[in-house]
Amino acid sequence: MNNVEKYLLELLDSPLQLGALILGMIAFLAIVVFANSYLFYFRLMFLNLRRNIIRTSLTAIASIVLVFVVTLVWTVLWFLNLVTSEKAKDFKAIITEKWQIPSQMPYAYESSLSEGAPSQEGDYKIDKSIDAMTWQFYGATIDPEKKTRDNIIFFFSMEPMKMTKMMDGMEEYSASQLDQLNKLCEEMVKDKRKIIVGTERLQAINKKVGERIKLTSFNYKGIDLEVEIIGSFPEGRYNQSAILNRDYLNDSLDDYNRKNPNSKHPMTNRNLNLVWIRVPDKDVFQKVERQITDSPSFTSPAVKVETASSGISTFLDAYRDLLWGLRWILAPFILATMALIIAVAISISVRERRKEIAVMKVIGFTPMQILFLVLGEAVMVGGFSGLISSVATTMVINNVVGGIKFPIAFFPIFMIPIDAIWWGPAIGISTALGGSLLPSLSACRVKVSEVFARTS
Amino acid sequence: MSLFSMLATSLISIVGLTILLALVGKVPINYSIRNLIVRWPISLMTALAFTMVIGVLIVMLAFVNGMYKLTESSGHPENIIVLSDGATDEIFSNLGYSDVSEIEFNPGVSRDELGKPLTSWETYVIVNQPIPLHARKGDRRRRFIQVRGILDPARSGKVHHLVLKSGDWFSTGDAGGGVREVTVSEPGKEPRKVNATEAVLGQGIAKEIGPDYMKPSLEVGDVFNMGDKYWVVAGIMDSGGSTFDSEIWAKWKTVAERFGKVTYTTLVIKTDSKEVAYATATDIVKNFKKAALQAFVETDYYDKLNNTNKQFLVAILFVAAVVAIGGVFGIMNTMFAAISQRSKDIGVLRIVGFAPWQILVSFFLEAILLSFFGGVLGCIVGSFADGFTASSIMSSGAGGGKNILLRLTVDMKLIFSGILFAVAMGMVGGFLPAISAMRIKPLESLR
Amino acid sequence: MAENIVVRVENLTKSFSRGIEKIDVLEELTLEVESGEFLALMGPSGSGKTTLLNIIAGLDTPTSGTVTVGKNLISKMSESMLASWRTRHVGFVFQFYHLLPVLTAYENVELPLLLLPMTRAQRKVQVMNVLDLVGLSGRINHIPGQLSGGQQQRVGIARAIVTDPELIVADEPTGDLDSKSADEILDLMGVLQKTLGKTIIMVTHDPRSAARAQRVLQLEKGKLVKDSRNFSYVTGNAGN
Repeated sequence: MNNVEKYLLELLDSPLQLGALILGMIAFLAIVVFANSYLFYFRLMFLNLRRNIIRTSLTAIASIVLVFVVTLVWTVLWFLNLVTSEKAKDFKAIITEKWQIPSQMPYAYESSLSEGAPSQEGDYKIDKSIDAMTWQFYGATIDPEKKTRDNIIFFFSMEPMKMTKMMDGMEEYSASQLDQLNKLCEEMVKDKRKIIVGTERLQAINKKVGERIKLTSFNYKGIDLEVEIIGSFPEGRYNQSAILNRDYLNDSLDDYNRKNPNSKHPMTNRNLNLVWIRVPDKDVFQKVERQITDSPSFTSPAVKVETASSGISTFLDAYRDLLWGLRWILAPFILATMALIIAVAISISVRERRKEIAVMKVIGFTPMQILFLVLGEAVMVGGFSGLISSVATTMVINNVVGGIKFPIAFFPIFMIPIDAIWWGPAIGISTALGGSLLPSLSACRVKVSEVFARTS
Repeated sequence: MSLFSMLATSLISIVGLTILLALVGKVPINYSIRNLIVRWPISLMTALAFTMVIGVLIVMLAFVNGMYKLTESSGHPENIIVLSDGATDEIFSNLGYSDVSEIEFNPGVSRDELGKPLTSWETYVIVNQPIPLHARKGDRRRRFIQVRGILDPARSGKVHHLVLKSGDWFSTGDAGGGVREVTVSEPGKEPRKVNATEAVLGQGIAKEIGPDYMKPSLEVGDVFNMGDKYWVVAGIMDSGGSTFDSEIWAKWKTVAERFGKVTYTTLVIKTDSKEVAYATATDIVKNFKKAALQAFVETDYYDKLNNTNKQFLVAILFVAAVVAIGGVFGIMNTMFAAISQRSKDIGVLRIVGFAPWQILVSFFLEAILLSFFGGVLGCIVGSFADGFTASSIMSSGAGGGKNILLRLTVDMKLIFSGILFAVAMGMVGGFLPAISAMRIKPLESLR
Repeated sequence: MAENIVVRVENLTKSFSRGIEKIDVLEELTLEVESGEFLALMGPSGSGKTTLLNIIAGLDTPTSGTVTVGKNLISKMSESMLASWRTRHVGFVFQFYHLLPVLTAYENVELPLLLLPMTRAQRKVQVMNVLDLVGLSGRINHIPGQLSGGQQQRVGIARAIVTDPELIVADEPTGDLDSKSADEILDLMGVLQKTLGKTIIMVTHDPRSAARAQRVLQLEKGKLVKDSRNFSYVTGNAGN
């Protein structure tokens, strides 16, 4: 439960948040202890809900289930929103070929691009030992006779040490997991033939850590590599990924060209796919962008520089209508359904209790107090179910299932954020209020004269 | 048996069974209907919950349906699509003309009136195009455009069953064919003459780019910029709801040079029939020795691209199943409450002589009525989605993918599915309450 | 003696309109009830006795005329004023008891007190007192479902007097009880009147219940047609 630990640690770090939390808890206790007439209301609400256990349970289970779905949908939307929103500090810039995908640039571009193409006095220079990384895509199969989905591996070829320093999602791993990964990277630096493969991909190709395999490439035809699998990623978004030391690929390509001086390999000037650099703020980004696009060295092919979030947005573009539908059609309709189900349960309960409500009014309870009582019952069911649902969903999906496996673009998996824990009660309470509004109004309009109605 | 006939049969048999039960059960169906109407607020709320669930289901399925229809109309069973070995997508394919052109002599290849093989040599690239500020929706700064460099457009049109809605195919003569001099007036600059390459656009992409130039859609004669070059619209394809709707076709030489892709990516071959296509494709894969190739019957190829679609379908069914639980519990609450309120009625019915199973049937039918009504309403609401266009992506899942524009399609298959789903929910939800109604003891309920 | 009059009704008229028709349920009724009186209201159904009871108890307002209970001119009060007035000044006993089924006997009796500014300890004193009075201190934690009809009605009575109101209003209090329990309840009401000095207005069909009252009012078609003192009513000797 790393996320919970992290969240709590973050909380303790900020004195303001901690103070607010403590104050909130004191206030809550104060209300509970001192306002004993409110306690009565809560008790009456609870007892009324308990009267018909079947009804309350059915409503609660329906709410739990619906909050579960909304949590899944909002997680996907939340995450995509996060990666496509422009950050203000310490963000990544991506350099790619300007016009086409897949982006293919000559490796010769690397040394200058990794530094941000500084050329004159005053130009900003990126420290490429810590703030730059290159990506080269190498796809291969382990069974050239019979190529299927299950025996291909798609490698990200890069400097091994940059993996933990610059790839996304590293902050979700615990300290010990990162440590392990770093050790693997160090081994990869020592022996360029060593590779890391994600757990699901390993399963698909039916291999284990420690095995050696022969790779027959399909995009670098003729550049076949022999590698040893030395480790894997922790569960999460890199389950299907694989990392190769770029030196092995580049050296092999050079070897090939040396052996075939008259027909160089077709991938010779197309072997650099992406360059990532990390910039401290928007100003530096714009400076570096201008340095690169003004430079005469990158014209054929031309390159473009964009922020990581902007680049991801473009890739997600195809999904824009689908995501819109999730956000504005699916989620709202599910919330409306939940409100209706609560409305039905509360309406039934009010209808059964009309006489009792009339008696309370006779004794002197005001319509407002009756309203509070009925709304409160709904909010109790909704809020409580919502809380159970979001806690259970987060724990089960993240820790047992391993995340929401709904691949969108290059995101294979979505993990539920810790924030989701308050989504549940929030949804439960607001749909309860919405759904029970009309029935509670009807309850507080019960006429006292109903108390005298003759029943046979 | 097709999906449609399965659904229709199920629906009809359920309706038939319901009517039969109502008749045999003898508890007047009027009793159920009147009770639902008397307690109309709660009945309405329950039915509306069903409406929401089914409505959303229909919209989601319409999306998936649209994708399937798109792939159906994009692939033709008598066509073969040839890619280089190992390419999981056209983008990664490399066909050298000199090696591969011998394929055209294969006996399976159809020929036109002049005896020329009906083949389409294509280079498929995806181009990144920045969107001008005024045309941006949200923070969408760039778009990916699918460009196909075509050697012989008229022939390719025949192979892919595409006709032009307006304008002409671009010309391909080597000596300056396919290029026109046009006058370009850009805001803030003097109008000037430039050379623009002729291109033919699918309707979808023409509509997509139009707003960049302050028009609803690009038309024949319009000039646009792509990859730092000027292009002029020579014609608009009537692509009939296929993937070609989102493509720009232009002279092969220009595309190859401009975008640095000097080999072909794709060869599409027309044959005389599906059987010939299958035979020829197998032949190519087994026996063509000059190059390592993959050959697929076009419909199979597009079927593979349905992977994302299948993923969406699974997700939709999962969501529907989960949300159905909510609906089922909602109707259970309603029915349980109705029964406890009418326990005296039930007692009277029993004393008068109705059998327990007839009581069960009566309440079971009441639940079905409610869910049927809600479901039909949901289908009506959901069918408003029909005809809306939405962007999506088609991919085999191994990297690469086509950005496509689909039309949400609500057909009878969907409507039947929706109603069946609603009735199934009603049946599951109404079952337990109906059982409890059946077990009410007559004298006790009247005390 | 004006100070002794608990309820003063003057020219009370109550009409309902049903469409274009106007129906007078009560017509120009005038009536005074003295402190400590035990009054029975009788009449055929539709005579308006329940309506009269409603108005005197502050559950409804007259179309015209005035009603004063104690020092309060209740006919001119708003609904919310009436609500808080009722808590302190009127206690209700119903034919079907109308206890909250989820609350225990103790909690049912405590209910009106929650509307008053009292501490938990103060409420406990009051509640135990009245439960003692009605003879149910052994059953305070039972819920209505665990009590007999007679016991439930006694809880109802306890609830009616827990705020020490001057007026008790009872609607067919024995209508749902067997004759033994009915007698017990009527005995209890007698005790309320004599020992606690409560003024009791009871609507009833039952002549035996009426016999326990000091004064019987007969209503017919919205008018008071008979107002008799019960001459067989002897202090300390409830209805033989």
